[in-house]
Amino acid sequence: MKEFRFSLGIMIILLSLCGCTKVIDLRLGNDSGLLVIEGNVTNLDSAQHIILSRNVPFTNTNTYPPVSGATVSITDNQNNTYNFTEGPAGTYSSAPFQGAPGTTYKMSVTSGGTTYTASSTMPAPVLLDSITEKSNEFNPGDNRRGITVHFQDPPNVPNQYRFIMWVNNVEVQYVFAYNDEFTNGRYVNLDLVETITDIYPGDTVKVEMQCIDEPVYTYWFSLMEQQFGGPDGGVAPSNPPSNIAPTVFGYFSAHTTQTQTLLVQ
Amino acid sequence: MRLILLCFSFLFFATSLLAQKRFIVSGTVEDKATGEKLIGATIKIKELPKIGATTNNYGFYSISLPAGNFTLVYSYVGYNSVEKAVTMTVDQVFDISLEPQKQLEEIVIKSNKPNNDNVASPQMGEEKLNMAQVNNVPVLLGEKDILKTITLLPGIESAGEGNTGYYVRGGASDQNLILLDEATVYNASHFFGFFSTFNSDAIKDVSIYKGGMPPEFGGRLSSVLDVIMLDGNNKDYTVEGGLGLISSRLKIEGPIVKDKGSFMISARRTYVDVFLHASSDTTLKGSSLYFYDINAKANYHFDDKNALYISGYFGKDVLELKDIFGTLWGNSTGTIRFNHIFNSRLFSNTSLVYSNYNYTIEDFQSASYFKATSQINDVNFKEDLQYSISNDHTLKFGLNVLHHTIAPGTITTNETSSFNDVSVEERYGYENAAYISDDWHYNSKITFLYGFRLSSLFLLGPGTLNTYDAAGNVLSSATYASGKLVKDYFNLEPRFTASYLLNDQSSIKASYNRNTQNIHLLNNSTSTTPADLYVMSSNNIKPEISDQVSTGYFRNFSENIYEFSAEVYYKALQNQIDYKDGAQLILNPDVESLLTYGSGRAYGLELFLKKKYGKFNGWVGYTLSRTELKFPAINDGNYFPATQDRTHDLSVVGIYQLNERWSFSSDFVYATGNAVTYPTGKYEVGGITVFSYSQRNGYREPSSNRLDVGATLEGKKHKKYHSSWTFGIYNVYAHRDPYLITFQNSKTAPNTTEAVETSIFATAIPSITWNFKF
Repeated sequence: MKEFRFSLGIMIILLSLCGCTKVIDLRLGNDSGLLVIEGNVTNLDSAQHIILSRNVPFTNTNTYPPVSGATVSITDNQNNTYNFTEGPAGTYSSAPFQGAPGTTYKMSVTSGGTTYTASSTMPAPVLLDSITEKSNEFNPGDNRRGITVHFQDPPNVPNQYRFIMWVNNVEVQYVFAYNDEFTNGRYVNLDLVETITDIYPGDTVKVEMQCIDEPVYTYWFSLMEQQFGGPDGGVAPSNPPSNIAPTVFGYFSAHTTQTQTLLVQ
Repeated sequence: MRLILLCFSFLFFATSLLAQKRFIVSGTVEDKATGEKLIGATIKIKELPKIGATTNNYGFYSISLPAGNFTLVYSYVGYNSVEKAVTMTVDQVFDISLEPQKQLEEIVIKSNKPNNDNVASPQMGEEKLNMAQVNNVPVLLGEKDILKTITLLPGIESAGEGNTGYYVRGGASDQNLILLDEATVYNASHFFGFFSTFNSDAIKDVSIYKGGMPPEFGGRLSSVLDVIMLDGNNKDYTVEGGLGLISSRLKIEGPIVKDKGSFMISARRTYVDVFLHASSDTTLKGSSLYFYDINAKANYHFDDKNALYISGYFGKDVLELKDIFGTLWGNSTGTIRFNHIFNSRLFSNTSLVYSNYNYTIEDFQSASYFKATSQINDVNFKEDLQYSISNDHTLKFGLNVLHHTIAPGTITTNETSSFNDVSVEERYGYENAAYISDDWHYNSKITFLYGFRLSSLFLLGPGTLNTYDAAGNVLSSATYASGKLVKDYFNLEPRFTASYLLNDQSSIKASYNRNTQNIHLLNNSTSTTPADLYVMSSNNIKPEISDQVSTGYFRNFSENIYEFSAEVYYKALQNQIDYKDGAQLILNPDVESLLTYGSGRAYGLELFLKKKYGKFNGWVGYTLSRTELKFPAINDGNYFPATQDRTHDLSVVGIYQLNERWSFSSDFVYATGNAVTYPTGKYEVGGITVFSYSQRNGYREPSSNRLDVGATLEGKKHKKYHSSWTFGIYNVYAHRDPYLITFQNSKTAPNTTEAVETSIFATAIPSITWNFKF
């Protein structure tokens, strides 16, 4: 229930009282070179992509070595098989096809002699009604803006959402994952609260809304919880539970997608 | 029933040991100036140096003596001793008043020789705080705080800055029982852990048991903090108080009926919000940020044999940002106690105790309006009896019937809100216990303190309760009517301590005790938040169990002026609780499906050197320890260090009385950092760089250290009033203790990541308080 703004309030008050930060040098271990699989099937009629890479040490730059030469395919529960071919190194793409809500997709990736499988069911889409901006509620004198998404949550079914935000075409490095545990059937006004990218008038904000299935939600939600490392109480960090077996880093998600863009006034 | 039989046979056995005709001298010991009953005052017999007694929590003592002439010596730290000649031909009652020493006289130790209690008593693993010392230890912003002060003792570690939580011998912070006049205080923190709920003005006595726990205490694995409020001055009316940087406090006490009854009311409130109101920012101007607490107590002694005590605590924290959100939380407790002295051997205390913790979180904005509330409510009946069979045997036995009502939470919303109304079923249960213990002086060298506690939990309906498999799927579900038994647990907890006196100055002691815990705090966040969720043992959660063995060497020097002890302990923990990944605990009716269970072990060495008397006094405490946990789903099922695993923990406290007006104090702490999980790599998913981890708690936060100093200036003597100034500097050399470390994309060097350390107090923080009394 991270939308309970209460935690953010504590953080702001405590850290504004006496907090101070500095970059420190830590001797961290190196457990790198492990496989990362990121598979997505969307309801857009286009090529679908599965990306294979490896993790790197903390001290490296954020460039991740691609994993080439894998055999990648997706099969749906009507026994349609879609083969993926490697384009740019590590990126495997299918011929254009449109994922259908209600369909279960099974991903199969064979790399380094091991076959990794995962399945995911595409949920029914929920309409992203609108995205709006508002001024900083804690300090109205501040020129920064917050982004709110609005949608009608369908009653009777559990829904899970993931949002991705871009400011001036740069992706905000923050995971937004929510479910309808406390909002089922409501018209939802959800603040995408983050502290990484400041948004000012004149910025262009793009928001993608994904409807995701439950295991994929758990994956993203675990990552999101760990982002709060502060006085509001982040949880002990760990690798989020992947839906891929045998366990590797990453996930396979069949989801619906839609985007809206807002020019901040 | 078997227990009662056992108790009786115990009594019978012990009584039959009496051969010679003996007489009893009993009574109470109190402070001459205020009438406060003195806890732990010692009574010795000059002619029989091996015989003695100490007063219990109500100032009561009882000693049996053969016929003859004796001299009784009553003494208590900081008071002049009193000698009383007595001829024993019948049972006698002596109520004794001791006069407090003038501060400087402490250095002259003549008639009041320090005793060797810490060496001679079989009790181990117990630490007592002297309130005079608590008041002298420098603290953050001048707020005297017993929870901060106990963490300066060996084996008790602070959970960190901005956290009143503490870890005892490797236990988690919810494994500590905190009692205020017998009532459980569930959340002992104010202002997110920067201050504790205990206002030192209102407190008479503080003891903490970290091992060798007496059977009268139970319900938590690690420790019991037993805090007793002042009774109130039954001789004179006094008013005292203080004006500090962040809070003010006031205490009024006086007789209800002189020498028979008294009252005490103590209150404090912070005024940070006064500064907020002065702000030009409109949101801050309309905001609230404060806490207050009130302690009140009254007592009345009907006669020598019957006394009634009523006490209560009420505290609240309020944090409200105008039109945005608000949160308030607080504890309230109430205790009614009746002391009855049946005869000079048998003392009884009957208590009825109420305890409540609740919090409210409210979002005032129309699009997200909600109000969430949660509480835990206890009603507790206790009967405690103390029976002095002879000087060789003192029995304590009693019963405890504790009813819990836990309301995990309710959300109320309105039509414009994004949120639904939610209500999670309340849970009901009884935690009942019976205990018996015997303090047995086997001979002049060997003493045993042994007994057991039978603890139980009855989880009751109404409600629908699920049983989950390891993966968290519902295995079965059943609906119970009101009062219907859902699940019960019984645990027998043996407690055993033995001491062997090597000579007057030294002893060795050993103890074994089992503790169980049936009420568990669920919180997977890393800090103190008011949103505490308690659950009882159930179909899914088994009672937590701890078995502890410890042994120690106790040695006094220089006529007991210096006390030294070295204790080692080993603790085995069962049925410990952790959380699955992505667990969302708050207001979750299936919260028990998100738990995972494991075991743990903790062991360590504690060294303690204390100087209790003299112009210069203080202590040095050092702990070397290890605490590890083991969960099947974490670290491939191997042991990993618990967050609170502290290899080294050092505290030094010194207090120096320069003259009648000036005294100085200082403390220094050093501790190994918490065990934490740091990334061992990074990768990219969804266009975002995230971190990979290979081992739980495989790293250490940087160690923490800090020096604080304080000074007290007593005002010139006036007939009618007295005043003093307290000055303090917290974190003198402005050390940056790490509060948290976050890993993120670098803001300065694109396409790289960095570790960022946040500290709360990176500067020295001065404080000043003016205290008055009239």
